[in-house]
Amino acid sequence: MGFLSYLISGISLGSVYAIIALGYTMVYGIAKMLNFAHGDVIMIGGYMSFCGMMYLGVNGWLALALAMVVCTVLGILIEGLAYRPLRQAASLAVLITAIGVSYFLQNSALLIFGATPKVYQPLIPLMNAAGEPNALKLFGGQLSISYISLFTMLSCIVIMIALTWFTGHTKLGKAMRACSEDKDAARLMGISVDKTISLTFAIGSALAAVAGVLLCSFNPTLMPTTGSMPGIRAFTAAVFGGIGSIPGALLGGLLIGIIEAMAKAYISTQLANSVVFAVLIVVLLVRPAGLLGKRMTEKV
Amino acid sequence: MNTILKVDNANVYYGAIHAIKGISFEVNEGEIVTLIGANGAGKTTTLQTVSGLLRSKTGSIEFCGEDISRVQAHKIVEKGLAQVPEGRRIFAQMTVQENLEMGAYTSPADMDKNLERVFEQFPRLKERRRQIGGTLSGGEQQMLAMGRALMCSPKLMMLDEPSMGLAPILVEQIFDIIKSLHENGTTILLVEQNAQMALSVADRAYVMETGKITLSGTGKELAASEAVKKAYLGG
Repeated sequence: MGFLSYLISGISLGSVYAIIALGYTMVYGIAKMLNFAHGDVIMIGGYMSFCGMMYLGVNGWLALALAMVVCTVLGILIEGLAYRPLRQAASLAVLITAIGVSYFLQNSALLIFGATPKVYQPLIPLMNAAGEPNALKLFGGQLSISYISLFTMLSCIVIMIALTWFTGHTKLGKAMRACSEDKDAARLMGISVDKTISLTFAIGSALAAVAGVLLCSFNPTLMPTTGSMPGIRAFTAAVFGGIGSIPGALLGGLLIGIIEAMAKAYISTQLANSVVFAVLIVVLLVRPAGLLGKRMTEKV
Repeated sequence: MNTILKVDNANVYYGAIHAIKGISFEVNEGEIVTLIGANGAGKTTTLQTVSGLLRSKTGSIEFCGEDISRVQAHKIVEKGLAQVPEGRRIFAQMTVQENLEMGAYTSPADMDKNLERVFEQFPRLKERRRQIGGTLSGGEQQMLAMGRALMCSPKLMMLDEPSMGLAPILVEQIFDIIKSLHENGTTILLVEQNAQMALSVADRAYVMETGKITLSGTGKELAASEAVKKAYLGG
């Protein structure tokens, strides 16, 4: 039963990574840039839902909606103010700007909320009113899966299905794919590339807010650096699965989550990160484009 | 005849390089006009300036009487000016049908009608509508690029090197299609290195050399001109 419960905790953690990785991979696919501020948008999402619950007194679900709205606006602002003016600039300039935005967000949070960790109220409390764990019991109670884990896995599945449908069947979603393939050709179709990139940041940032709330529900200490490490792991997941690919983000996220959980359980908690990144290095040596990286041969 | 496109004194720079040096030309409704010239003469740059991907520092570009020289590329398409870019530039990872849908991005209301018309013109595309664009042959990709541009029912269609990289038999086929589009009333601005083919279908033609227009006349006049023969038609 130990193995199964580690696997489940790996999958639920991996689901959060997958949701974050989607933001990296979609933005990379269309804007061909690594948005290193993405991890910090997660943290802002965490703080926004915290403020919603703490100061506005709304319940966790409304606070989640508030966080999604704020992060969506934030994502559009970051793109419009920091990245759009650099559309023609060298990619190194964009990368440095992204790191700058990341520090800006972290330090703004530090200034506003202070360095003391906030105690976060999980979206679904771990215990119910009667003091019993809020969890699904299987095998006569030998295996228990918390409702928040179940909710996380379910959200991940719903988000994946929704995004796959969006990019495959809607006009805007197809325009997004067209822009990620060839921006000038997309312009010649009458697609506004700037608006499409904004939309991508909006979606990625709304997902970051969801990830922020889920992450804080698992690990209820909220600090200005809360988003950094999950952000980097999710970025790893995106590269692992093949950056630019939506199914790749799912696969990469789940694998990173499972590897991390297994490494913590069977090797050592301290070495978990090293194991995760070592696996990444090996995968990239063997498959440089990632597991599901696009490598279609094209006739010319 | 109404002038549909009028380029007046366009100057385009790539950084310090002066690529287009004060060119002026026009296209009238119902015509096929061709720009011919050697590699690097500035033909593609000219088309990209008209379609708004590049900007002219001076002068004006009038399309249907409206100055479009400062209008964003995606808004120019809405006005009815379509470009089939050099190298086709189809969306290789999208299906044939999706490529055509992208062509109809600005005019979704007429999509079914236009799709039917494009499939009629290019039956091959209908057969392959579910296939991924990148798996088509070169000739089919050119047809797809042309069909995609037709999906917005353009008033003017600009074709950039449609014969590039195609076998002679396919070149013939592409030019037959250009002629039939013209017969159906589409105005065409054609950029070609294959001067002989281009001049054989064109009503009027301009010869470009290092960023300038050096000669102009009807297709027949230029095909008969000694200078053009020598430079572009192999003697």
